[in-house]
Amino acid sequence: MLRVEKVYKSFGGILALFGVSFEVEANTITGLIGPNGSGKSTLFNIISGFYSKDRGEIYFQGKKLRNIEPYKIALMGVGRTFQISEAPEKMTVLENLLLAPKNQTGESVLNVFLHPLRIKNESKQHLEKAYEILHLVQLYDLMNEYAGNLSGGQKKLLSLARILMSDPLLLLLDEPTAGVNPTLIKDLIVAIKNLRDEKGVTILVVEHNMKVISEICDRVIVLDFGKKLAEGTPEEIKRNEKVLEAYLSGSTKREFFHENT
Amino acid sequence: MGLINFLVYLAIMMGIYGILSLSLNLQYGFTGLANFGQVAFFCLGAYASTILVLVFHMPFIVGLFGGMAVAALFGFVIAIPTADLKEDYWAIVTLAAAEIVRIFFLNEDWVAGPDPYIGGAFGIGGIPQPLRSLFSPHTYPFFYLALVLVCLFATYIIINTLTASPFGRVIKSIREGDNLPQALGKDVKRFRLKVMALGGGFGGVAGCLWAHFHGFVSPEQFMPLETFIVWAMVIVGGKANNKGAIFGAVVIVIFYNCTRFLKDYIPIEEVTLASLRMVAIGILIVVAMLFMKEGLVKEKRIKESIVLKKACSE
Repeated sequence: MLRVEKVYKSFGGILALFGVSFEVEANTITGLIGPNGSGKSTLFNIISGFYSKDRGEIYFQGKKLRNIEPYKIALMGVGRTFQISEAPEKMTVLENLLLAPKNQTGESVLNVFLHPLRIKNESKQHLEKAYEILHLVQLYDLMNEYAGNLSGGQKKLLSLARILMSDPLLLLLDEPTAGVNPTLIKDLIVAIKNLRDEKGVTILVVEHNMKVISEICDRVIVLDFGKKLAEGTPEEIKRNEKVLEAYLSGSTKREFFHENT
Repeated sequence: MGLINFLVYLAIMMGIYGILSLSLNLQYGFTGLANFGQVAFFCLGAYASTILVLVFHMPFIVGLFGGMAVAALFGFVIAIPTADLKEDYWAIVTLAAAEIVRIFFLNEDWVAGPDPYIGGAFGIGGIPQPLRSLFSPHTYPFFYLALVLVCLFATYIIINTLTASPFGRVIKSIREGDNLPQALGKDVKRFRLKVMALGGGFGGVAGCLWAHFHGFVSPEQFMPLETFIVWAMVIVGGKANNKGAIFGAVVIVIFYNCTRFLKDYIPIEEVTLASLRMVAIGILIVVAMLFMKEGLVKEKRIKESIVLKKACSE
């Protein structure tokens, strides 16, 4: 589904990614973990086309992603959320969701006047889908609220809800549960698993919550200082000494994982 | 009679500036494009129509659509190299582009024909008024008012339909940054080009109506100041609200034209007063931005009921 081959990226003198390679199988959930500054978000930005890479290749469904604008990558089926939830603040939650479906007829100026009926039918379908997703992320009661008035956690949920509206084939989730309350995290875990099992979505997820990672991920990739440190099932990763070392040095490292698992 | 004439004149100005204000509102209010060169569209529409009608002897309607097309093309063209710029740079570039247009018409007098005393700094006079011969001097302003109102209404309907459509949703998302719409597969550059072309087209219509009403155009009528009067309309009236944009035009036109009578009440020289009126508009913008951020008419919140009504009405 997604193949990352020896990707390098530096910002000035700082090496953000140093020859990272891995593969994401279709219909799986892959976790991307690593300490702050290890290059996870940079990698997301490169895959989704927001940053250019210095070297290396990325293949999505066998197609090379090179010098392709972000919107085209999105249209190919790569959906992403942002670590700091970007939401058009002066648009309601519902509008945010209705914005997301790709290639809407009514996005063309001419079609607005030539095909009002088709647009109306599309809107109906999108609206029904939006209701469903709003229930899923428990934002249904807030749909008339401006996105700017939501809390940090709610904005996270909104960005997940929004990207689900666009039917991605590959979903890049940047810390989907950060700032979300524990009960809702449980629902989100179920929802994310459902995406894989029922809709066949492939997911790459950056997450700091190890409990979430071990519950949802089929595989986990660990980045540290721009390099791939380890790769394996969540169980293997948890036992990996190098990973423990990278995350926390000293005696607290065992406690970190025990606390979180 | 004098009073009625004055009121009709005011109403015509409100209509023409209403179109300009709607156009800027589409660009700035909805899309977040800080166009400081709105007057360029006004100027191009006025000149293109004047030249088509006066030099090439085309009918008024050709001038109207020609002015619209030229201004739309200009909007499209200046948006191509600037589509990646951030808001403040965009503002500077558009400001400069408008000055280029004005200075072009100031220096290139050949565009108005071979007569050396027509065009350039002399301006172009004797612009024919459409269907003038069918009306008496007393009734003609009423006809022209009707013409302006028809254009204003058409502009309002088109822009309002667009801003309430999925197209409108995309441009509103662009207003707050490119990243999110891009991640959702929206070609942000393309939308900006479309908005600038549309905004340019309507600005051109306003220019054409203005030229044929006054019967005279000259470069000095299209100073950058004109742009900021339109900005005042959008900011005071309420950005991202089409009714607000028209309301803002009404308020500012009244304010601008009625302050000229102040000289009858306070002992002040006319020249000083003219400058003071500009200062007053500046103060009005600042006051509106400080105490009335959303303007007189607030942006409409798109609630479920509105979406439902659009999607399910028969």
